[in-house]
Amino acid sequence: MRVAFRLLALASASLLSWAAHAAPMGFKESWMVMGDLSPNWREGFANYAFTAKDAVGPSLLYMRSDDKTKTRELAEVAYTRLLKRWNLPHAQANVWFVGGVGALRGNDFSGTRTMATPGIQVDYETTRFYASAFGRLYRAEGINHDYAAARVGFSFFEADYDEVQPWAVLEVRRMRGLSDMTEVTPMLRLIHNRYFVELGVNNSKQLRFNFMHTF
Amino acid sequence: MRNIIVSLAIAMAALPAFAANSVKATVNGMVCAFCAQGIEKTIAKMDATKAVFVDLKSKVVLVEAKEGKTLDQKAIGAAIVDAGYDVVKMEASTTSVDEMKAAAKSAKK
Repeated sequence: MRVAFRLLALASASLLSWAAHAAPMGFKESWMVMGDLSPNWREGFANYAFTAKDAVGPSLLYMRSDDKTKTRELAEVAYTRLLKRWNLPHAQANVWFVGGVGALRGNDFSGTRTMATPGIQVDYETTRFYASAFGRLYRAEGINHDYAAARVGFSFFEADYDEVQPWAVLEVRRMRGLSDMTEVTPMLRLIHNRYFVELGVNNSKQLRFNFMHTF
Repeated sequence: MRNIIVSLAIAMAALPAFAANSVKATVNGMVCAFCAQGIEKTIAKMDATKAVFVDLKSKVVLVEAKEGKTLDQKAIGAAIVDAGYDVVKMEASTTSVDEMKAAAKSAKK
């Protein structure tokens, strides 16, 4: 059971922090799968957009403290809502709600605890510039792992729809209770009309890999 | 003389049959290929669609109809909105997707 939970956590753990990287859901009636993988943070989720503004799906997250002594495994159902969108001639801006409820396990307490994870993301993007901020509460009885992340990036050139577009992205993020440091990760982002991947190394010299796919 | 005029009239009437039957939509908010894929995927599934072209630079979506089929502008507009974008202009066009791709390529050079 614990192995199954871990596998589930690994798979959907890649999904949650994706909300901080780009639009956290696909187009109407599409599935999106996302992953964010690094040694201390493995997150994954899949969601189904049942309207143009609402998506729901399973999410798994594994978190580990910097000293590797404390771990968290969260399995939840997450709901994503596009609260507001501004479609401009050469830009798009969004406000998103992402929130879930699920079961949390940890190696420093027994059993499971119910965790709630409401969050807000704001982002602004043109064909050459991207910026976002994401804040999310991770709360359970006696536990507070609130999370905040900010990203800024630029593309090296404007690309056609069917071309690969490389971006340089810098992410800064922080989480309570598990890490005292602010994680800074410069990343190379590649966007194509079929996939979205990011690869970077954080300030602890740990590799990070992110991906998104919509189908 | 009369035969020439009749022949000319027939030839001119036949001209539109050689031009593409397309719909051109100007779309706001279309800045990312990964995010705009919903437009292409949804419209490509429509029965009357022969080809779809998304041009991020000019913010245009061009939909070309299959021969003998009529595109549903309302459904195309709804697909773009469901993909998360705003349609600011929708018009009939005789430009084919291949022609627009070629024009976009030559503009890039």
